[in-house]
Amino acid sequence: MDHAQAQSTFSDYVDGSLPERQRTEVDQHLSACIQCRTELASFRNTIGSLGRLKQAAPPSFLGDIKQQIYKRSQGRFFRPRWKLFGRIPFEWVSLGTIIAMLVYYIALMHGSPSGVRPAP
Amino acid sequence: MEATLRGRGFIAAPESADATSQSPRPASSRRLARARARALGQRTPYTMSVAERLLIARLVERDEQAFAEIVRLYGDKVFSLIYRMLGSRPEAEDVAQDVFITVFKTIETFRGEAKFSTWLLRIAANHAKNRIKHLARRPTEGADPEDVSQVRSAPDRPAPPVQARIDSPDTLLEAAQTERLMQEAIANLPEDQRLLVVLRDVEEMSYQEIEEITGLPEGTIKSRLHRARMAIKESVDRRTR
Repeated sequence: MDHAQAQSTFSDYVDGSLPERQRTEVDQHLSACIQCRTELASFRNTIGSLGRLKQAAPPSFLGDIKQQIYKRSQGRFFRPRWKLFGRIPFEWVSLGTIIAMLVYYIALMHGSPSGVRPAP
Repeated sequence: MEATLRGRGFIAAPESADATSQSPRPASSRRLARARARALGQRTPYTMSVAERLLIARLVERDEQAFAEIVRLYGDKVFSLIYRMLGSRPEAEDVAQDVFITVFKTIETFRGEAKFSTWLLRIAANHAKNRIKHLARRPTEGADPEDVSQVRSAPDRPAPPVQARIDSPDTLLEAAQTERLMQEAIANLPEDQRLLVVLRDVEEMSYQEIEEITGLPEGTIKSRLHRARMAIKESVDRRTR
């Protein structure tokens, strides 16, 4: 095996997908060839560096998409929702108010009147 | 619910060709299909998990929470793929947003024959390729490898790359330089090789996933990937010598 043949297998060699027999031949060549060993180290280094290129989406990504869909759907989807203190949705506030009023009403109707005595 | 989904084309009618992947089948039948595929040397037919099926069903119903979940799950992967393909952050943001808008609009066309992520990344790859072609027609606005460093110095730049989380300034500088060299080398690759190297080496996907995304046979993927890796290595070696 010469340099070119050995280097043409580097991708499969690094991925671990080289057949056993070919891998042995490459290993034998590498043990005797410093040039190919250096090339392989550089090849591995390149692949390792590529693996560190992942990039996270910007924090505003979801918000921007929602805004785009809202515009393009002419307000049909992702309508901005009113929130109390920017956290509690308006529907929850309404529901809470209704429940509180109901509880107050029931308590008022079923509670015993105190401090009021019937006239003699 | 099922009738609605079928009406929208999400669950295929039993007589349709893709019924195998969509219609609920007993577990024994699915196991049999997998065993038959293995015996014939074919790839195992993909079966959606219950969670994935439910999420897609909610998305078909245009559930805004489900859509937000999809963006949270896959946003980084899609953005990263497109950013490395284009080499420009503003362009990548624009294209990645378009990808998710397309998903929102066309989710009914997802037939469940492959993983949702595969379908999504196929859309992302196609959008990125189209933008590369579009930018090539307007070279002054095209992918600029220097963009990475330009954007890094911008005061409102969000989401630092992985390398930027390293403490030492020297290491940070070196990592930024390596990233710039890598990005330049990727940008100089032919479009088909660029996609393969990003999918395999940046996003660390399996050859099977890459085959499903690109539609290329494994042999072609491997030979093009080898050429791409060698080209990147030579480019970086040349610049660092």
